[in-house]
Amino acid sequence: MASAAAAALTLRTGVLACRWMEPIADAELVRRISSGEDAAAAESELCRRFAPRVFLYGLKHLRDEDLARDLVQTVLLSVLVAARAGRIVDPSRADRYMLGASRNLAARMRDREARSAGDEALADLPAPLPDDGVADPIELGALFRCLGRLEERARHIVMLSFQQRKPTDEVAARLALTPGNVRVIRHRAIAALRRCLDAASEALT
Amino acid sequence: MSPCPNQVAWSILVDYWADDLPDAEAEAVEAHVFGCATCAAESARVAAIGQTLRGLRSPVVTREALATLAAQGKRIFEDAFVPGDRREILFPADADLLIFRLSGLDLAGAEHVSFSLRSESKGELLVEIDRVPFERGEGSVLLACERHYASLPPDIVAELHIHEPAGERVATYTILHRFA
Repeated sequence: MASAAAAALTLRTGVLACRWMEPIADAELVRRISSGEDAAAAESELCRRFAPRVFLYGLKHLRDEDLARDLVQTVLLSVLVAARAGRIVDPSRADRYMLGASRNLAARMRDREARSAGDEALADLPAPLPDDGVADPIELGALFRCLGRLEERARHIVMLSFQQRKPTDEVAARLALTPGNVRVIRHRAIAALRRCLDAASEALT
Repeated sequence: MSPCPNQVAWSILVDYWADDLPDAEAEAVEAHVFGCATCAAESARVAAIGQTLRGLRSPVVTREALATLAAQGKRIFEDAFVPGDRREILFPADADLLIFRLSGLDLAGAEHVSFSLRSESKGELLVEIDRVPFERGEGSVLLACERHYASLPPDIVAELHIHEPAGERVATYTILHRFA
């Protein structure tokens, strides 16, 4: 727990990476953390890079934003501890190490007991990690308006697929379409929604 | 952020977030996204839509669902509208849900009821659902307004299409909603 607390302390030191004008490879960040050379800034930058990616993984597999945030903290903490101890064997594949940690910890978090165990480690992380890199939240009124602009069939497919989590085969059967048709309509509809939401967001700013 | 030479296609990302990729392909997407800031950002743009849609509760609820919510401690207020009504209504400061009871309907022979919400002033279609639950016995449809609906236009027209073997009837209700 002492090393976890030390890593947690490092996480709270703030974002220092901006003073680096050139992008630094993940492997170099891991090397600096391991060697102690400019380690605080390297840890900050590694967290800034990977927090959004771990969050997305958590969102997909844990289906809950709070759990996804817990996963971010647990994974980053475990990776920093491993990096400090020089236990990341191939630093050039830090992304794979991060993915592996995300898979393992997400699997454990699906189990309530494991989640409670993770909470103990999180007690050392009082400040939430930054959410930069994760898409801005969507304003509900804009979403309704953009949904309203979709063709009726496309809107139906989007709602069945996402809001009601219906499998593509079932959506296709309900609408007398092929699964391939459903996918094409859904890709286009989500792209149209994204454009519409981006335009709404730009209009606000 | 540098461009990705092997960018994951938008269509693949949509399938991924719709849970419509085989496991091996989904794992390949994850492996790529973990190593690529550009694709991670693009994936986040799809995820944001999927996640928001999943969080949407249907605006039309059943009596049974309301009873469950009330048992969970939700503070629920209710106000009845009859067809043709056009009036202002205040969402109380201490309410979790405000139910607009769209009443005055004969639903004894209804096969199904479809529902839409439009902005009265702009005519803009906000929500359209082809089949909504309805209360046959009490002759009503229960429209649940939540506080985040404050982002909707303040003048909404709820339209019900009652589909019966003999044809279709339409009822409209204009709700000028305000929030305390």
